[in-house]
Amino acid sequence: MDNLQKFVSQVRSRLFVVLVINNIFIYVDWWFMDRVIGLDTEKLIFTLVITTVLSLTILPWLSAKYLTQPTKLIWQAILHIAPDTANVPAPNLKRRTLGHDLVMNLVSHIYQLASVVDDIEKTEATRQTDLKKDFVANALPLPLLVLDKNQTVIFANHATCDYIKRTTNEVIGQSVYSVLDMSFVSEETFDKWLDNVKHNAAVESKTWERVRLKVEGEEVQRQFDLAAYFNAENPEGFETMLVLFDHTESYSQDDQGLGFIALAVHELRTPVTLLRGYIDVFEEELHDTLTPELAGYLHKMHATAEGLTTFINNMLSVSRVENDQLLLKLHEENWAEIVDTVVSDLSLRANVQGITIEKDVAKDMPTVGVDRVGIYEVIANLIDNAIKYSGTSKRIIIRAGLNKEGMVETTVQDFGAGIPEGVIANLFDKYYRSHRSRSQVGGTGLGLYLSKAIVDAHRGHIWVRSKEGQGSTFGFTVIPYAKLADEQKNGDNNDISRGAHGWIKNHSLYSR
Amino acid sequence: MKPQQTTPPTTPTMNNGRKVLVVEDEHFISELYVRALTKAGYDVSVEVDGQRGLELAQTNTFDIILLDLMIPTITGIEVLRKLRGPGAPPLKSKIIITTNLEQREEIRADIEKQADAYLVKAEVTPRELVEFLSTIK
Repeated sequence: MDNLQKFVSQVRSRLFVVLVINNIFIYVDWWFMDRVIGLDTEKLIFTLVITTVLSLTILPWLSAKYLTQPTKLIWQAILHIAPDTANVPAPNLKRRTLGHDLVMNLVSHIYQLASVVDDIEKTEATRQTDLKKDFVANALPLPLLVLDKNQTVIFANHATCDYIKRTTNEVIGQSVYSVLDMSFVSEETFDKWLDNVKHNAAVESKTWERVRLKVEGEEVQRQFDLAAYFNAENPEGFETMLVLFDHTESYSQDDQGLGFIALAVHELRTPVTLLRGYIDVFEEELHDTLTPELAGYLHKMHATAEGLTTFINNMLSVSRVENDQLLLKLHEENWAEIVDTVVSDLSLRANVQGITIEKDVAKDMPTVGVDRVGIYEVIANLIDNAIKYSGTSKRIIIRAGLNKEGMVETTVQDFGAGIPEGVIANLFDKYYRSHRSRSQVGGTGLGLYLSKAIVDAHRGHIWVRSKEGQGSTFGFTVIPYAKLADEQKNGDNNDISRGAHGWIKNHSLYSR
Repeated sequence: MKPQQTTPPTTPTMNNGRKVLVVEDEHFISELYVRALTKAGYDVSVEVDGQRGLELAQTNTFDIILLDLMIPTITGIEVLRKLRGPGAPPLKSKIIITTNLEQREEIRADIEKQADAYLVKAEVTPRELVEFLSTIK
């Protein structure tokens, strides 16, 4: 208001000055015409009229121009910030004008108001976008996660938090790998895919089926299909979006197959435990009193019970392979020691058939990266097969050593009937039982199928060479530990998880 | 290290001073285990019930506890949790899970973390069990 008062008094004083000057001018004019030049009254009146008209024309024009200067500046300021006339330049406020302070004040007020309005508009727009985004994302009954360039979760909807039983605060700002502990049925895991598209693509999407997720504090794993959308150029930094489609119920119904097998295995194991227990007692306490014939039977009983144990374990492993639940943990192991253990465990079964197992194991082999239990089953199955198909021959040779490719190769050779060329291709199929009829040889044909699955999961290679009438040689390779560790350089070398069909933990490789 | 016994493990009379609790509801199996363990000089107690097995174990008088998982009243997993879980008082006994039950990998891994060993009964004969226990100190 001070500025306004100042402006009014400025206008008043300037108008006063103008009017005084005007009066002086007319008076001086009259005096000059009358006394100095001595014009007659008629001419004097005429000159005064002309002078008055001139002053009445010029002075209002100058005054108006001068007095409206502030209005013009304010008008220019308003036009400058108005969206339709934004090309009007900003008023030059440095120029000294009438009411300079008032104009400065008003124009700065106008600018402030404009910026406030602008902010309100922007906030409202953002709020509406956020509202829409949150509303849509949270109304979506599917877990939805948004990741930034560092795989950090920057958004997770309500469904996500419900699904993985964590609060928003426990999820936002965390690495996706610590939020979602996922396992995949194939080698193409989410982290591998993401790593790849980050280097090679701008926009990419992919889906995975039967992904498993461990939820803390729950025994049953979640199972779902996963969809991922990657966009490196997303303006809001939403680089990767993940949507989870839960199928825990239907997928675990598929797993009931294993549930049944697990039950059957439990029921079968109890009598086997007892049989082996009683045989154990008899062997220890009766052996010396038995006739050689009865001692032989007892020996065979022992071997048979062991064979049954192997079969039960095979059955379980096969059902795990089929349900993608065979999880191998690769550790550094001494290969010769494993071969020794298997050979010594199976020698009884060979002996009751009158067969001896000869070993030819290289001494200087490097350590290997294998799952001890899984690979034990492979060697045991190959020896078991060799025993079954040896016929009248009494010799099995197991060899192990480094091959040309730098892999540790193990072969089991028998000198039995051999396999006709035509059936070799099907040997590793499920339930395939060579060309011999059931009455000649026991077994279910699961052994080779399982062995192949386990060797494949080790990323080894299994093969067979056979000539009818001369016997067969089955061989497989495993990777030396150093080589495996090299491949997994960035990972946790002591615990490399593998599945049959390559059931893989998402990443042993992530860093938080 | 001083050997625990100087006589062969099959001599039934010699007590090795170690106490074993067998929590097992399959009578024929516990019978075989008791026979083999007693012969090897162990002082063996048997319990078929989970709850009573837990109470016995909590007396902390056993060197070794053989714990089956499928047992009546409370399961072996529960017993294990109560003996080894957070807040449980210290227990001198070594706990060895003896089961024929097949677990999912991750459940088995969880059990193995709390127990001292995990055996599948069908894969060890009583004699092998005794041999194994002699390695548990």
